Amino acid sequence: MAIKISKTFLMRKLHQITGIVPLGTFYFVHLFTNSKSMSGDQVFNDSVADIHHIPYLLFVEIGGIFLPLLFHSIYGIFISAEARNNVSNYGYGRNWFYVFQRVTGIFLFFFLIFHLANLRFGLIPGLESYGNPVAGNADRAFAIVAAEFKNIWILIFYILGVTATAWHLAYGFFLFAVDWGIVIGEKAQRYALYGSVGLSILLSIVGINAAVAFIEPCGLLPRAFCEQVEKNEIVKPQKF
Amino acid sequence: MSETNGHQEKKRLTNPPKTIEFRVSRREKLGAAQYTETFEIPYRKSLNVISALIEIRKNPVTKEGKQTTPPVWSMSCLEQVCGTCTMVINGRVRQSCSALIDDLLLASGGNKITLEPMSKFPNVRDLQVDRTKMFDHLKQVHAWVELDGTHSLGPGPTMTQEVQQERYAYSRCMTCGCCLEACPQYHDDNYIGPQAIAQAKLFNMHPTGKADIDARLEGLVGDDGITNCGNAQNCVQVCPMSIPLTRAIYETNRDVTINALFGWLRK
Repeated sequence: MAIKISKTFLMRKLHQITGIVPLGTFYFVHLFTNSKSMSGDQVFNDSVADIHHIPYLLFVEIGGIFLPLLFHSIYGIFISAEARNNVSNYGYGRNWFYVFQRVTGIFLFFFLIFHLANLRFGLIPGLESYGNPVAGNADRAFAIVAAEFKNIWILIFYILGVTATAWHLAYGFFLFAVDWGIVIGEKAQRYALYGSVGLSILLSIVGINAAVAFIEPCGLLPRAFCEQVEKNEIVKPQKF
Repeated sequence: MSETNGHQEKKRLTNPPKTIEFRVSRREKLGAAQYTETFEIPYRKSLNVISALIEIRKNPVTKEGKQTTPPVWSMSCLEQVCGTCTMVINGRVRQSCSALIDDLLLASGGNKITLEPMSKFPNVRDLQVDRTKMFDHLKQVHAWVELDGTHSLGPGPTMTQEVQQERYAYSRCMTCGCCLEACPQYHDDNYIGPQAIAQAKLFNMHPTGKADIDARLEGLVGDDGITNCGNAQNCVQVCPMSIPLTRAIYETNRDVTINALFGWLRK
């Protein structure tokens, strides 16, 4: 007998998988690029230029980022609206995490609208990126972000965004593992949860450090850590 | 051997108040407005919430001296195995028969106790609710083993000790509704809930019941199905029978992923 699947069931599964596969992958690529800010403007701008040269860029951006993001965020708001939070009477750890996942999700919805309007599309008047977004201006990418982060409020907003994303994704990995029946037992879930919390802390630190590196070379680390290794002379092949 | 000989002395109420104040949610009938009335009864030893309610019923006069109707509630076994007397006591859902007044006063530190009906079910009157939905959920997930014939087919297949023990844990469910009341996802019957999922698991584990696994899973992948679980795990915390509800949910998640989501790959 075949099992008939409902629309809600498919939508939920799609919501879970879009959060992990396209958005999770994109997040790590994004964090990797951000972290190049530690090595200074040239390295960062080169890597933005590299992104501009991704083959099928338009399709990758629309199919791999915008569509999954749009679906995940809008359906996520519907899911959040369903919640009847009751942590005041049932203040268990997992119940708090349930609330955090929804709170970070809604916060990120607004944060990402700002972030995209700001650095991707350059639509926010008064900011350095207005009419001059990072996307498409690889040669000025570092300078635009650095100028914006001089405003402490924008930097704080970005740090909050980075932290919320780290938590939402890391706990999202855990939720994916339990919702797809991968991690079942109580003990296994406890270890998976420790792993998620650890991952979220690690990703937050990496993300914050990348942001700070735009105003302070090498971010929170000592500068020596980021200094480029001198290139060795190219050894010419000897003639025999 | 430890000094206490294994026996743990329970914390006792050493300095009880003279009177206990009950704030009871009242509602005349289904759909009527809800309001609260306060009753005061003298403290005596070994009261539970039900015996206190019986005390109030003897003389239904509010603290302000107003004559009123006796509060209505449901009860049956009085030993926490039927689930009928479930209500929200001081904000937490539990059975009122096993809610001892001394423990409640110790936990709250005052002399006030709030009694409300469960909020996720139709409130028939005062503290009484209609839990028919939960029985509908059992039908939805085919929570029984089909009769395999009208004549004897001899002994059925054997169950391992391990399966027996796990099934016993699920079989203790008394359909009280605590899990649904504490679930932040469940409201307006939008989610089938932990109780039905655990019962589906109970019968999916049965050697004869296995035959209907698809029918049970189909009942769990509807619009109100298992994916509506939000993993807050309140259900397993409030379950008075300590049923491993979350285990049932995650085991069933695996069954659903394999049989429903990826079932078409076996076509």
